[in-house]
Formats: sequence, C-alpha cells, structure tokens
Amino acid sequence: MALKMLLPNGFKKIGWVLLIPSTIIGFIMMLSPNDDILDLHSTVFALYNDEILGQNKHTGFINTNITNTLVGVCFILGGIMVGFSKEKKEDEFIANLRLSSLMWAVWVNYILLLLSFLFIYGFGFFQVMIYNMFTVLIIFIGRFNFLLFKSKMTATYEK
Amino acid sequence: MKNDLKVQRAIFNITQEDLANKVSVSRQTIHAIESNKYIPSTTLAIKIAKVFGRGVEEIFILEESD
Repeated sequence: MALKMLLPNGFKKIGWVLLIPSTIIGFIMMLSPNDDILDLHSTVFALYNDEILGQNKHTGFINTNITNTLVGVCFILGGIMVGFSKEKKEDEFIANLRLSSLMWAVWVNYILLLLSFLFIYGFGFFQVMIYNMFTVLIIFIGRFNFLLFKSKMTATYEK
Repeated sequence: MKNDLKVQRAIFNITQEDLANKVSVSRQTIHAIESNKYIPSTTLAIKIAKVFGRGVEEIFILEESD
C-alpha cells in the first residue's frame, strides 16, 4: 500500500529534534516586532531572488539572512519525518488512522484558510499565508498522534 | 458488520495481544475490530479466521445496514 512512502521508524526521533525547536523559534520570530531576533548571514545560491526594494531579479549567489531558511527547512524536514515515519508496529489499522488524519488535516486547514480569506485583511493576511505553509503538517501530526493515543488508551481497558 | 472475535478468543482462551501477534498486527487493531471501529482487510480477516479454524463468514457477519 502506501507503506512504501513511509520512512523507517528511526527517523521519528530525529524529526522531533528538528521539529520542536524550529516551531518554537518560528513562533518567536513571527510574534516578535524585531526583524533581527537571530541574524545569521551566509552566501547562498538563489534560483530566484526578488528583493523587496531591490534592483535585480536574478539567479546566482547572494549574501543574505538565512534564519528563515534554516527554521523553515528544519520545520519541514522535522514535520515530514515525524508525520511520515512508520510506527513501531505499522499495520493496516495504523495506516487507516494515518490516512484519515491526513484528510482531516487538509479539510481543517482549508476551512481555516477560507475563513482567513473572508475575514482577515492587510498585513494580518500576510501572516496568515506564512502560518498556512506549516499548519497542514502540524494539524496532521496532532490529529494522528491523538488518534493513536485514544486507540492505545481504549485498548488497555480490554484484555 | 459485526464479528464473533471476542467469543472465539474466549473459546480458544487467547488474549487480544496473542491474537495480534499470531496475525502480525498491533493489539489496537484487534481491539478496534472487536469494537466495530475498524473493518479488517480481506487478508487480515482470512488470517484471523484461520487462527480459529473457521470460515471468514462465520466470524464476520454482514448486517442489514451493510
């Protein structure tokens, strides 16, 4: 089935190590009024660089603040490892829970996005767009782990 | 769909954990099947029936609503 698309169980721990700090730092950066909470500059290769108030849109090496890049990459890689690693005992029921959690996450995410389109404007909407890059993974991971926990809890009452 | 799993387990004196190990699934899966929260695949249903030496239709029974 879709088991072929799952990572080995060992990736889950690595995923949490990447996901939790990047989520916390990301939140702090989003909520902070200052732009330079963490200022890590480096030369990177840009396929497309369209600087705000900049002159050129070009491909090439640029020297820029890569804090957002690092936080975003760590979050995405961590989230994918946490969400799409096999459980210790991966079977069809767990796969079913995973699929239904994924559907649920997409539904909830797009309902929230629809409401945001309708009721949030200006700079607030720009922030919504940024949050929206990450919410599907977060909602999926939350829902999937909740369902796993619920099924483990109800199973312990029976022998 | 209803099933006879609990009765069969009692007859054979097998726990959910034992049955889960025999058919290579997690204990939560067996519990979910018994609580009618999950309908097993054909393969799993046949494996479970084989453990009890019965046919699949004797253990998993279609209801009117199905």
